[in-house]
Amino acid sequence: MAEATETYKVGQHPDLPPPRSEVGVIGWVKYNLLSTPFNVIMTLLAIWFLWSIIPPIFEWAVLDSVWTAESRKACWAKMEVPEGAACWAFIKDRIGLFIYGFYPADLRWRVNLSFVLMVLAIVSVLYENMPGRKFGLWYAVAFPFITGWLLVGGLGLTHVDTDQFGGIMLTFIIGITGISFSLPIGILLALGRRSKLPVIRVLCVLIIEFIRGVPLIALLFIASTMLNYFLPPGTAFDLLLRVLIMVTVFSSAYIAEVIRGGLQGIPNGQYEAADSLGLTYTKAHLLIILPQALKISIPGIVNTFIGLYKDTTLVLIIGMLDPLGVGRASLADAVWAGLAREVYIFVAVFFFICCFSMSRYSLWLEKRLSTEN
Amino acid sequence: MRNKITSVIAALGTAAIMSASANAGTLDDVKKRGALRCVVSTGVAGFAYPDKSGVWKGFDIDFCRATAAAVLGDAKKIKAVTSTGKTRFTKLNSGEGDVLWRNTTITFSRDVGVKLRFHGVNYYDGQGFMVNKKLGVKSAKDLGGASVCIQTGTTTELNLADYFHEHGMKYEAVTIETNDEARQNYMSGRCDVYTTDASGLAATRSTFPDPQNHIILPEIISKEPLGPATRHGDDQWSDIITWVYYATVTAEELGVTSANVDKMKSSKNPEILRMLGVEGNQGEELGLNKDWAYQIIKQVGNYGEIFERNIGKKTPVGLARGMNALWTKGGLQYSPPFR
Amino acid sequence: MIEKLKPEPAIQSSKDASKIIIEITGMHKWFGAFHVLKNINLKVSTGERIVICGPSGSGKSTLIRCINRLEEHQEGKIVVDDVELTGDLKNIEIIRSEVGIVFQQFNLFPHLTVLENCSLAPIWVRNMAKAEAEDLALKYLERVQIPEQAKKYPGQLSGGQQQRVAIARSLCMNPKIMLFDEPTSALDPEMIKEVLDVMVELAETGVTMLVVTHEMGFATAVADRVIFMDEGEIIEQKPPNEFFQNPEHDRTKLFLSQILAH
Repeated sequence: MAEATETYKVGQHPDLPPPRSEVGVIGWVKYNLLSTPFNVIMTLLAIWFLWSIIPPIFEWAVLDSVWTAESRKACWAKMEVPEGAACWAFIKDRIGLFIYGFYPADLRWRVNLSFVLMVLAIVSVLYENMPGRKFGLWYAVAFPFITGWLLVGGLGLTHVDTDQFGGIMLTFIIGITGISFSLPIGILLALGRRSKLPVIRVLCVLIIEFIRGVPLIALLFIASTMLNYFLPPGTAFDLLLRVLIMVTVFSSAYIAEVIRGGLQGIPNGQYEAADSLGLTYTKAHLLIILPQALKISIPGIVNTFIGLYKDTTLVLIIGMLDPLGVGRASLADAVWAGLAREVYIFVAVFFFICCFSMSRYSLWLEKRLSTEN
Repeated sequence: MRNKITSVIAALGTAAIMSASANAGTLDDVKKRGALRCVVSTGVAGFAYPDKSGVWKGFDIDFCRATAAAVLGDAKKIKAVTSTGKTRFTKLNSGEGDVLWRNTTITFSRDVGVKLRFHGVNYYDGQGFMVNKKLGVKSAKDLGGASVCIQTGTTTELNLADYFHEHGMKYEAVTIETNDEARQNYMSGRCDVYTTDASGLAATRSTFPDPQNHIILPEIISKEPLGPATRHGDDQWSDIITWVYYATVTAEELGVTSANVDKMKSSKNPEILRMLGVEGNQGEELGLNKDWAYQIIKQVGNYGEIFERNIGKKTPVGLARGMNALWTKGGLQYSPPFR
Repeated sequence: MIEKLKPEPAIQSSKDASKIIIEITGMHKWFGAFHVLKNINLKVSTGERIVICGPSGSGKSTLIRCINRLEEHQEGKIVVDDVELTGDLKNIEIIRSEVGIVFQQFNLFPHLTVLENCSLAPIWVRNMAKAEAEDLALKYLERVQIPEQAKKYPGQLSGGQQQRVAIARSLCMNPKIMLFDEPTSALDPEMIKEVLDVMVELAETGVTMLVVTHEMGFATAVADRVIFMDEGEIIEQKPPNEFFQNPEHDRTKLFLSQILAH
């Protein structure tokens, strides 16, 4: 097998390439799929499994699907077998509702503009090498206020009730607000929990444990029902604002624990080195400790964020219509009723795209920050 | 410290009193706000659903629009406050909604316990059974041994158990969470029978590729009187909701429709004239404009029109008037006189 | 044999060469119930080079860590450069910028480059401008003979190189006192020499040094005084030749026989 059949003088042996079948596609197939009889059987089973599943799904979802129709009946009429393929015409018909919720149609440009601004803010925060990043970061701080004004109105723009927010727009608002505000709050809670001052430490522990002990649904219910009982009716503390606060508070507690784990993973020597150089507590944490802690915690943080993002669908329970809610409400329209599969697949694909992007970004970020060899 | 506690109690007490008394002014609140907030569902076929531009339509929505037409003169000035079964009453009681038009069954516990005020029954519903025609079953009494799709934790489940027990039959329960799930199971044959409110059965059937192959059995085994609700403690508002509903029924009784309501203003029937505000001051007594009922009929229609538009025979939901026909036609819709 | 290098100009001109810069009187320390330092009395003059040795667990590291208050003492008095070490935060930060420490585990900041590691403290503690701080850092990196590694990350360097960076990092703050906590104990043998060479060269410049180490060759070449500690007490302090030739106490003799055997 070995090709190193020539002999070399001692101390002069050159680096040779490995034998052919160990590398490349052939090597991989041989090693991973066909190396033992058991593996061969599993490979065959897997191929058979994929063959029986993927083509029918592909046919149902893509090849035979109908993209334009006026109603479910018309949609099914276009298929060989009624209900035998996906009727994406329904989604297309309702795409406005799915994306904007009940936002007035003539004012939707404000939502579009907010979306563009959001993308700009995200890019400024997440990509270090963007030109003009300093300006980008200041912009990202101002961004919530700018978009808040754009979406809700006031000061020159017509007012739009937050009750009318819905669909994908609502998911983005709740998700991004929750994520961006819970990170700094979570960091503060984590640091507070490690504080030497007992008052701060006990307070932070209580906050974290209370929030983690209550399901998000319960918090949303509290936000939607109980709070209003304590305030005189008419002082409508905007429901969306209450939800945003609850979601942020909820996520902060989980982030705090993730970061605390990261902080614990930093060797004591780092704290000592920072202290012995004369750095104050704040500077030591900002320059030395937190960058390292956050870096180790990236998988945990992104994991929490992905979970939070998907948890935004819970607002359905309190009557707000996120994409899932819009889908189910649209299913009540008799013109289209009965196309539940299409709705759920659409919503699932939407969430998958968002969450997968987040996890890909996290991998990219980890690689970039990795300063080991 | 004592002072702090007393002031906190005082503040809470004031809030409680204020919330109680503020209820009394729902009419003023609605007029000031310029829009009527109706607590509705998140989507029930035929009763409440958004169309593709996000405008809400449906049987319950039309009654909401009728209320808006009466109070604000414009049926379009409504806001649909969506709620799930679990949050509908709190949304009403906490003031987020003004009135509940949401296929809600009137029961003792809701009237007395949750402190809601009900105002008549705008839809008499009841639990029924749907089976595939090919089973050859013509009556619910022949359903012994069937597998039944049933939503757990509902009065539907309790009624089902009682009915089968009473008739000495056994059944296999296939538990489901949502209507979609039931539909899947029923169509795949996992369950032979689907049971829920008859209106829901009709709506679901309308979504089948072959609705004509499925029948809703004649037996209705429970009473589900659906009607609007308001908070306790606001009698003026309660009266308004009550008579908005009665106006639609009386209009149909007297033959007033959205098409002929203008002509009816010069009718010879004094009750019509009183209702439409041409004579008398019933509108003012309610705290509304003279033409409150006229606006209802003109903009939304009478009970029959509302029914036919949303859940009638010609719609996909395809329900017969049945118990919801006028009392003169053998049904239960009956309005006190406008005298 | 350790080579002596050409002496470099002093880092600081100490006007009063015989000033007492560290004074410890009657110091005791406990870790919980464990009495780790017992009745420590020590006077260090400016410019003195002191080597502290002893068996493991004798409290040597703990002693020098008390000097920059990485550890706190429970009884007694420690005065560093006329500032008494108490719980007062302000004092501690002043002391820490005057006292440099080199750790056994290097403790470089892995997410920063070598240059950033060194320039960090001047920028953020002394409020130096970035360019100036980087020049300063490069100067010290040259002194420890690894200026070409400035842009690399600590994880890419060998142990000996990392420790030299650690020394440069401490030097960038221009400390009056340098503490070394077993600086070569974590290094592979072939890298010990390069670090010791740097330390010897440093010793020539007149900075006060306290070195905890087992490298007796270094002690002989450079130390003004060798202190032997055992079980939390200072047993003997003597100039190196006296220490190695005429140890007084039995425990010292035992220790010397163990480490000088190979």
